[in-house]
Amino acid sequence: MTRPIVPALLAALSLATAAEPKKIFDYPYEQTDFPNGLRLITVPTDYPNIVALYIVVNTGSRNEVEPGKSGFAHFFEHMMFRGTKKYPPQKWEQIMKSAGAATNAFTSDDLTAYHATFSKESLPAILELEADRFQNLDYAESVFRTEALAVNGEYNKNSANPTSKLFEKLRDLAFDTHTYKHTTMGFLADIKAMPEQYEYSKTFFNRFYRPEYTTLLVVGDVKTAEVKAAVEKHWGGWKRGAYVAPIPKEAPQTGERKGHVEWPVPTAPWIGVGYKVPAFNDSDKEVAALQLIGSLAFGQTAPAYQRLVLQEQKVDVLFGGSQPRVDPYLFTVLSRVKKQEDVDAVRESVISTLNGLKDTLLESKRLQALKSNMRYGFAMGLDNSEAIAGTMTQAIALARTPEAYNRFYATMEQVTPEDIRNVARKYFVETGRTIVTLSGPKAK
Amino acid sequence: MNKLLMLCGAAAFGAEYVTMPGQSPLIQFRIAFRAGSANDPKGKEGLANLTASMMSSGGSKTKAYKDILEELYPMASGMVNQVDKEMTVFVGTTHVDNLEPYYALLRDAITAPGWREDDFKRLRDSQKNALRLGLIGNNDEELGKEVLYSKLYQGHPYGEANLGRTSALESMTLADVQSFYKRHFTQANLIVGVTGKYPAGFVERIKKDLAVLPKGMPSTVKLPAVKPLTETRVTIVEKKTRSVAYSFGYPIDVTRNHPDFPALLLASTWFGNHRSSGGNLYQRMREIRGLNYGDYSYIEYFPNGMFVLEPDPNLYRRSQIFQMWIRPVEPPTAHFALRLALFELDRLVDKGMAESEFETTRDFLMRNVNLLMKTKSAELGYAIDSKLYGIPEYTKYIQTALAKLKHEDVLKAIRKHLRKDRLHIVAISDNAADLRKALLEDGPSPMRYNSPKPGDILEEDKLISVKKLNLKPEQIAIVPEAQVFQ
Repeated sequence: MTRPIVPALLAALSLATAAEPKKIFDYPYEQTDFPNGLRLITVPTDYPNIVALYIVVNTGSRNEVEPGKSGFAHFFEHMMFRGTKKYPPQKWEQIMKSAGAATNAFTSDDLTAYHATFSKESLPAILELEADRFQNLDYAESVFRTEALAVNGEYNKNSANPTSKLFEKLRDLAFDTHTYKHTTMGFLADIKAMPEQYEYSKTFFNRFYRPEYTTLLVVGDVKTAEVKAAVEKHWGGWKRGAYVAPIPKEAPQTGERKGHVEWPVPTAPWIGVGYKVPAFNDSDKEVAALQLIGSLAFGQTAPAYQRLVLQEQKVDVLFGGSQPRVDPYLFTVLSRVKKQEDVDAVRESVISTLNGLKDTLLESKRLQALKSNMRYGFAMGLDNSEAIAGTMTQAIALARTPEAYNRFYATMEQVTPEDIRNVARKYFVETGRTIVTLSGPKAK
Repeated sequence: MNKLLMLCGAAAFGAEYVTMPGQSPLIQFRIAFRAGSANDPKGKEGLANLTASMMSSGGSKTKAYKDILEELYPMASGMVNQVDKEMTVFVGTTHVDNLEPYYALLRDAITAPGWREDDFKRLRDSQKNALRLGLIGNNDEELGKEVLYSKLYQGHPYGEANLGRTSALESMTLADVQSFYKRHFTQANLIVGVTGKYPAGFVERIKKDLAVLPKGMPSTVKLPAVKPLTETRVTIVEKKTRSVAYSFGYPIDVTRNHPDFPALLLASTWFGNHRSSGGNLYQRMREIRGLNYGDYSYIEYFPNGMFVLEPDPNLYRRSQIFQMWIRPVEPPTAHFALRLALFELDRLVDKGMAESEFETTRDFLMRNVNLLMKTKSAELGYAIDSKLYGIPEYTKYIQTALAKLKHEDVLKAIRKHLRKDRLHIVAISDNAADLRKALLEDGPSPMRYNSPKPGDILEEDKLISVKKLNLKPEQIAIVPEAQVFQ
């Protein structure tokens, strides 16, 4: 066995507080750009025998610009398992099975990712197999129509959870023109109409399944030179595309928006509060400060959490934060309130917690504890090859490189209590706010 | 990796240790007790789970929970508990930089819980909400599975949900929790697992620290034989929901240490490997017919399957069921979907799989079993389980058995342990009376598609759509959601 590669970060995290901060993603990786626009990132690790291959396409529900096409990126993710002339689905399954592979895929606002984890000796075969479906996908209309029903089934299985509906409503209200208006699953009416979209699916494939949108992450027991050669061989001939989705800009919100969801089944009420915040930018201190506020204001050690959840016990679920997105999105706070009569008080508490950040400067001790939490939390999440690839996938969605996380965590290290106060004043304003409540049937 | 695995047994009824020293700076703990919800007294269903929550999330003698959260925060560490029928485990990870303060908190959670009334109230509310909202209200699929288990094990120590019953939780007291703790969280039940680059002498310290727990006697309950089903039963849980979720099955004699386990694992993997598009059931129901999002089968308890791709370790059980999980289907296809799933079960029992399919599945499992050990914590968990089941290290155990396994062995195991009838079927559905009526009438339930299907599928559908279930009124019960686990 080769000498273990233990990243400096994991080996001596405590040194990370020294004057020159260590990179948060400290695995030695190599990033290669091919002439067709495809990007390859290889990360050799010391976890033996296993390889995680993540293929990330920088296309998600954000790219669904045409009316009636919400949910299409996710639907298309399903279609990618429908085979090619050379490798029909059964053949694809067989090769994956012989590799002992665990395979799956997922779609979010900004990305679609296809992943497989398997024994290292199968890597060349799987790189060839995957290259084929990304270039030569081929399915009949009947197959397409059947798969649309499976997507409807996916909506159905998600629909038992009230938070799915709450977010659907929150986004629909908060955005007018930007595609973040709809969730990744899409509007139900669009899902119901999916079987009729066969021709459009080919357009979608031609637009987005192109090398300039695609990054291969290969993490595990691998040698970079061998991976590069195999990728060159199987993916090098893939033709670059030219399409860029005209994603509508969202005009600034000019007033508070409110909505309510009546839930048919008994539930404790939920409150979702969203504020418009800027897009991800790894060097922007405002974005970094907003990222920190979620944990500072609503994490388990935050005064609001301790009051609402531990002392008063009015709330049993509380979390908040800003999820990094390619375009301006929302800082959201979600709470589940034990009793209907406390809903107004809890909503006011959430709002006043954020307003409180505008007046009082945060103790630097708390900021230090949070920064430590972030560093250890990040490092401890990287305890196997699949987890490393999974973590990097988000960075790829946002900026197509793991360096985005290195820069972003470095920017977060710079954030001061004054920065926290300034972004709170700028973004936690009534005109940028959307509130959705959800409650069950009234007690008889 | 297995070289490093050391099992150190202790004297009879003493604590046991599974230690895996390694190079990782992440120190991972699994502190397990061989006690769980099977030990819940009658009328106190949910007590084991609440006791474990009070330990991991209720503060210690010297520190309030709020202060513990403050201490854990800069370390980005925590501890979670998992309670099942015969096992409770506390799982935690810390970076070696923070080992001392982290370990002190973990030790106190196990040996010196705080027993404060306000934590009790909070955690009891939280468990009630996990039961009434998280499970019954918001997760039709998990609800179907838990109801299935409770029906199959009625009157048996496995017969109640780990989260308990609402009425029992409402009457539970702090004194109940304390007495459960004294009785079951003892050295006789303790198994400690630890892995990572911990310092020399660390395990000895843990032994010394945990020796303050009462010696106790093993909590293992006597498991009576599961009452056999004499006919198929259907339970329809009625709730407002868009679609119909099914879970069904029956108890089997096979657990992980049974000689037929590898053969039956292979059969179930071929038939319905968890969350994989490769399973036969998934292919027939979802891929060809688009009935739902997925369809799988199991021979071991596998909670939270909608959230995880690999099973969590430390769910050791001495009795298991064969289970089929049919993800939600549209109500107009609910009758057909059930018939199709049972048709596929018939086919599994009658014909098994082709030799080539046997070989492909065996090759898959040979390698795939390694992926179960992708984290050190999972490896540690499996090592503890293997100790309980009395089997060798899990990957070796499976791979060695698979290497010897023949097609005929799998067919034999299917015939011996699986059957086509005497199932308990659980459906979560709105308009339960309509579904009940359709099942009783047993009339044709033709399938209509939105696209042309191959002739052989249409022919097969003709058979499936009239497949007789032969159910009598007394075999189908409707239970309103509000009464479940009440």
